[in-house]
Amino acid sequence: MVKKLRLNLITPEKQLLSNEEVDFVALPAFLGEMGVLPGHVNMLVQLGMGSLRYKNGKEESEFAVLGGFVEIVDDEVNVFAEGADLAEEIDEEAEKQKIKAAKASLSRKDADIDFELAEMELKQSIARMKVKRRRR
Amino acid sequence: MESLRDIRQNIKAIKSTQQIMQTMKMISNARIRKAQDAMTAARPFAKKMLEMVTDLKQEVLALPQPEMGESWASRFFINRTGNPDKIGVLVITGDKGLAGSFNAVILRALMKFLRENRNKQIFVFAVGKKGRDFLARLRMPNLQIVYESVGIFPKVSYAHAELLGEAMMKFFLKENLGNITLIYNDFKSMASQNLVQQEFLPFDHLPQAQPDQHEFEFEPGVLDIFKLLVPRLIKANMYRILLESQAANLAATTNAMDAASKNAGEIVEALGLKLNKVRQAGITNEILDIVNGAEALNN
Repeated sequence: MVKKLRLNLITPEKQLLSNEEVDFVALPAFLGEMGVLPGHVNMLVQLGMGSLRYKNGKEESEFAVLGGFVEIVDDEVNVFAEGADLAEEIDEEAEKQKIKAAKASLSRKDADIDFELAEMELKQSIARMKVKRRRR
Repeated sequence: MESLRDIRQNIKAIKSTQQIMQTMKMISNARIRKAQDAMTAARPFAKKMLEMVTDLKQEVLALPQPEMGESWASRFFINRTGNPDKIGVLVITGDKGLAGSFNAVILRALMKFLRENRNKQIFVFAVGKKGRDFLARLRMPNLQIVYESVGIFPKVSYAHAELLGEAMMKFFLKENLGNITLIYNDFKSMASQNLVQQEFLPFDHLPQAQPDQHEFEFEPGVLDIFKLLVPRLIKANMYRILLESQAANLAATTNAMDAASKNAGEIVEALGLKLNKVRQAGITNEILDIVNGAEALNN
C-alpha cells in the first residue's frame, strides 16, 4: 500500500479537516512554499498567508490560510491556522469591498482607527483574493 | 376590596409578562445549542496550543537569560521581575440582567478580590456591560479599567478573544504586572454554572511536559515559534472562557426565565381564585339584598 499523509486543518473556531488522507500537501511556510510528502522529517513550521493545497489521487483541494503554524509528526500534518477558507467559497466581490474599506481607513490620518487591524484585514483579504484568482 | 375590573386587569398584565418571559426562555434555549457547538469546536485548537507550549517550555526557558531583567518567554512563565503590587483582573459578566444570580455571583467575588488587594494597584479588563458599569461606579483610586468590551454576547467570535488577549499581553508586559486573575462563570451543565477565580498569567500551573519521543526541526528557530505559540495559547484560552461565559449566561437566563414564568403562572392562578371569590361575594351580596328587600315588602 502506498503511504499517505493524514491532514488536519484546525482554526481557533473549528476543525475543518480531520484525518483527511492525502498524498501531498503544499503549504505557505514563512520562508517560502513548502511541499510535504509521506516520510517527511518531523517539523514545526511557521505558516504564512497564502494557499494550502492538497492532493489525493486526482482530487485536489485548496484553502486560503491566514498565518499560524504547522506541525508534521509521523506523516501527520497538523495545520493550525488563524483562519482558513475553502477556495471555492471565497466571495470575490465581498473581498474586493473589504480591501477597499481597509485601504480607505488606512489612508485616513485620524488617530482613532486601529492601523494594525486594518492592515491585517487588508493582507488577509489580498491573500484570499490571490487564492481565488489562481483557481480560475 | 379590589374591584373585579382591577383583578382582571392585573391578570392580563401578568399573563402578557409571562408570555415575554417564555419567549426569552425559548430564545436563550435555542442559542445554547449553538454556544455549546462553538465550545466543542474550539477545543482541539486550545488543547493543541497547550500541548505544544508545554512541550517547548523547558527548551526555551533553558536558553540563556539576559543579565538585566528577564527574557520575554520567562516573563510569561516565571515572571521573576513582575511587580507583585501591580496586578490585573479580568471580569466577565453578562450585558443584561434577568439571569438569576449570574452577574451577582461574579460581582461578589470581584468585590472580595478588590478588598483583599486593596493596597495594590489594580488593572481591570472588563467584559460585559454589567461588570463594566459596576466598576465605573466604584471610584476606587487604585482601580483602573484598561480594557472594556460590551455587547459581544451572544455572538462571541475569535476576533473578540484576539483583542482581549492582545490587550492583556500588552498591559502585562508594559505595566510589569505581577499576575492576572480571571473571574468568570464556567458552563457546567444546563442547570448549573460554576464561578471560576483563577490566576492566569504567569503560566506557572502548566502540566509537566511528557518526555518527548519526537525530534523536531524548527523553521524558523524554536524561540521564534515559541513567541508565536504563546500569544495563540493566551488568545485560545480567552476564546474558551468567553464561550464558556456565553453558554453559562444563556443557561442562567433560561433557568431564570423558566422559574419566573412558573411564578407568574402561580400568581395568575391565585388571582383567578381571588377573582372568583370576589365575584361570588358580589353575587351573594346581591341575593341578600333582594331577599332582604322582598322580606321587607312582605312584612
